[in-house]
Amino acid sequence: MASASSVSSAPASSAPSAPPFRQRPWVRWALPLLLLVVLVVAPLVLSEGVNETLARIGVFAVAVLGLNVVMGYTGQVSLGQIFFLGVGAYVTAYGVQNDWNIVGVFALACLIPAVAGLLVALAAARLGGLAIAMVTIALPIVGVPLAKRLSEFTGGSQGLSARFAETPEWTGLYDDQWQLYVVLVIGGLVFVLTRALVRGKYGRAFAIVRGNENVASSMGISPYRYKVLAFTIASLIGGVSGFLYMLVIQYTSPETMSFGHSIELLAAMVIGGAGSIVGSLLGGAYYVLIPELTNQVDPNLTSLLQGAILLVVLFLLPGGLASLPRALTRGRRRTRVGRGPAATPSTPSSTTGSATAEPAPTERQGHA
Amino acid sequence: MGTFVQLVVDGLSTGSIYAAIALAIVLVNQATGLINFAQGGMAVLAVYVAWVLTNEGVPLILAILASIVFSIVFGAVVERFLMRRFERGDPDTAVVVTIGLLTLITGVAGWLWSYNNQQFPSLFPLDTVQFLGVSVSIRSIGNTVVIIVVMGLLQALFVGTKLGLALRAVAINPESAAFSGLPVGRLLMVGWGLAAALGAVAGALVAPQLTLTPGMLDNALVYALAAVILGGLTSPVGVVVAAWIIGILENLAAVYVPFIGFDLKVAVPFILLFVVLVVRPQGLFGRKSVVRV
Amino acid sequence: MTLLELEGVTASYGPVQVLDGVSLSVPDNGAVGILGANGAGKTTTLRAISGTVKTGGRITFDGKDIRGLRPDQVAALGIAHVPEGRGTLGDLTVRENLRVGAYLRKDSKAIEQDIDYCLDLFPNLQERIRSNASALSGGEQQMLAVGRAIMSKPRLLLLDEASLGLAPSTAKNVYDAIRRLRVESGIAMVVVEQNANLAFTLVDSATVLEVGRNVLTGTSAELKGMDEIRRAYLGG
Repeated sequence: MASASSVSSAPASSAPSAPPFRQRPWVRWALPLLLLVVLVVAPLVLSEGVNETLARIGVFAVAVLGLNVVMGYTGQVSLGQIFFLGVGAYVTAYGVQNDWNIVGVFALACLIPAVAGLLVALAAARLGGLAIAMVTIALPIVGVPLAKRLSEFTGGSQGLSARFAETPEWTGLYDDQWQLYVVLVIGGLVFVLTRALVRGKYGRAFAIVRGNENVASSMGISPYRYKVLAFTIASLIGGVSGFLYMLVIQYTSPETMSFGHSIELLAAMVIGGAGSIVGSLLGGAYYVLIPELTNQVDPNLTSLLQGAILLVVLFLLPGGLASLPRALTRGRRRTRVGRGPAATPSTPSSTTGSATAEPAPTERQGHA
Repeated sequence: MGTFVQLVVDGLSTGSIYAAIALAIVLVNQATGLINFAQGGMAVLAVYVAWVLTNEGVPLILAILASIVFSIVFGAVVERFLMRRFERGDPDTAVVVTIGLLTLITGVAGWLWSYNNQQFPSLFPLDTVQFLGVSVSIRSIGNTVVIIVVMGLLQALFVGTKLGLALRAVAINPESAAFSGLPVGRLLMVGWGLAAALGAVAGALVAPQLTLTPGMLDNALVYALAAVILGGLTSPVGVVVAAWIIGILENLAAVYVPFIGFDLKVAVPFILLFVVLVVRPQGLFGRKSVVRV
Repeated sequence: MTLLELEGVTASYGPVQVLDGVSLSVPDNGAVGILGANGAGKTTTLRAISGTVKTGGRITFDGKDIRGLRPDQVAALGIAHVPEGRGTLGDLTVRENLRVGAYLRKDSKAIEQDIDYCLDLFPNLQERIRSNASALSGGEQQMLAVGRAIMSKPRLLLLDEASLGLAPSTAKNVYDAIRRLRVESGIAMVVVEQNANLAFTLVDSATVLEVGRNVLTGTSAELKGMDEIRRAYLGG
């Protein structure tokens, strides 16, 4: 379930001479540099409220990114990502409360969720089909009472708070700025590493497994192994986002990993853009900003609106918001290039007859 | 011993509820190849319809029947206008659509009737009856019997009627069925309608003890999915048996295994799943799952 | 009286144009063959008729334009398509498969008689009547597929590669039964076949397709005599 590639890869250009704007040499350097400058300067100039919001967006962007690894790129629906965020947050909170070394805490916040994810994946991935979806639904649903029960570690229903993000004296920054920087650095690192992963051979393997498992096995790519790998990476990244969650929000409780949040995270991923790096950022923004908006309209309406938005996106823009620019240019290009009367997708929605006809190419792969 | 029997009977009752939802999921999967995560949510909506009617003074039985009719129509409409587009595509995308549907339905119910727990009248009296010297709840027996009867009716429909034959044909090979003139689209709508009706029955039976709220069947959905995995998507009988086993085991575990207790009952199906899967990756009864190439 | 008429029919799967202007004419009670190599568009032509692929051009059945109809609507008009791969409903029994074929009919007594007729036409099916279709051999499944198709009492039968994957003697049996069917019921047929020899035992005329176009059309007698056909399809 994904758009074929992340937005940052340039569309194929028909003009052989001038390379598209994005690939011209100076642009390739200028854009990231500009981005870097913006990221360094922004926390210093923006207000405290905005910084805090941005930090929260960063936290959930990382969580969505993790979900994207297993769901967007490898095509396995997972309802468990929020669970790994929760575990990471609890590990962090517990470690901080017991005054462990913060680097060690971070490492544990990465490792423990990753191990948990590995175990879940080893069992669930064997089943094929939608088993991972059907099993991961249990994670938030079992996770909440489990967190309440293991109160020596988790503080039970009360949850745990931990403040460890006081700015070191030498930086001279305010707390919100420091937190945002930490989120940007750690989050940014995760994004860069993940981007490298999905653009390399692992990413290609994930895409093949997502597309057609039989084809993957025939190519020597074990769907089982790659699903387990993707899920473990997703859980690890989920743990990182949990660490950042504690950093920014400084409190966690069983409610953090509720079923409702699980679905919201999944929706955010789809709406932001499945299988897209930029989409993960947009997803994080959606996760943080939209509930604030809908709560202002009418808190009782939140679920309804979120469900409606998700469905609308799935129908009209399956690649999520990240695919909007591509969808717009495709729309423009299609009206220019005339197509013959017979060249229509062979699976019209009201008949079920053409199921065995060869699928029309790339356009349909925009399915989230 | 008395407690044990009670727990088993109660477990059969809740297991029957899971079985109904699981069967609905299997039915939809066989017809359209996707897993409907909103199956429980659709059932809850039907129960709300019944609840609204009972508040207007409609007798409970009629209200439930009306909710069944509602869910048949609702299921058909969902298939035709929401899911049709996603049926021949990637099943993972279709699942996400059903998750969106679940959110929407929960949201609508919450918006219309709030998230508070509502009382839903019980079809069966809340007394117990003496069976082999043990007190068992009438409601548990009643629920189990009703579900068994409904499943029997469905089975009779599928095996003994022309409609049932047509539904089976469409589930096996829709294109080939169309060549014999079967109106595939309409039959899929019927399939979804029947599945929704099954869910509505289950919802109405369990609402009195769970109390009615938009998220009432979220947990049950998890149990139902576990039953589907354990029983295998191709085996309705396996799924029902698995659901009963889950229902009984979770009740027994809640009482006899102190760590699990009442609040962690929901972990039982997955512990069971884990154990079974180590031995038999395709579930207890199922064949190897059909992979759509 | 022309029963089925195709004029300039085009069809494509995505960007790949498979039919590039195919024409065909089937008279009442007639049998026309479509010959050609793999990928020539033979199967797609049948799919164009039964509505399982979107097409351009003209397709008329009994004077009525049937282009754009859904497959079940085309079937309701009296066109029965036996697809490539047979499309037998594996988890249903032989009897149930035949019953499915009669879905659109309401005359239950006549349906039972027609089931008996099918079993007479294809005796192999009689002893397997209660088996699941998936347990049948290739030849038996082909017979079952044809049987299911005729249960709807069609006016036109579309046969796609009925001999595919069958041993020569089995294929001959199948064609013998279909020939008998044709004589006894007068059903018109469009027969796609790679085995031209076999096809000529059944059809009155044929057209040869190459890359989605008709390259040769004529009566069976004419075509059988042509050098090209002999070399390409009849083995010398």
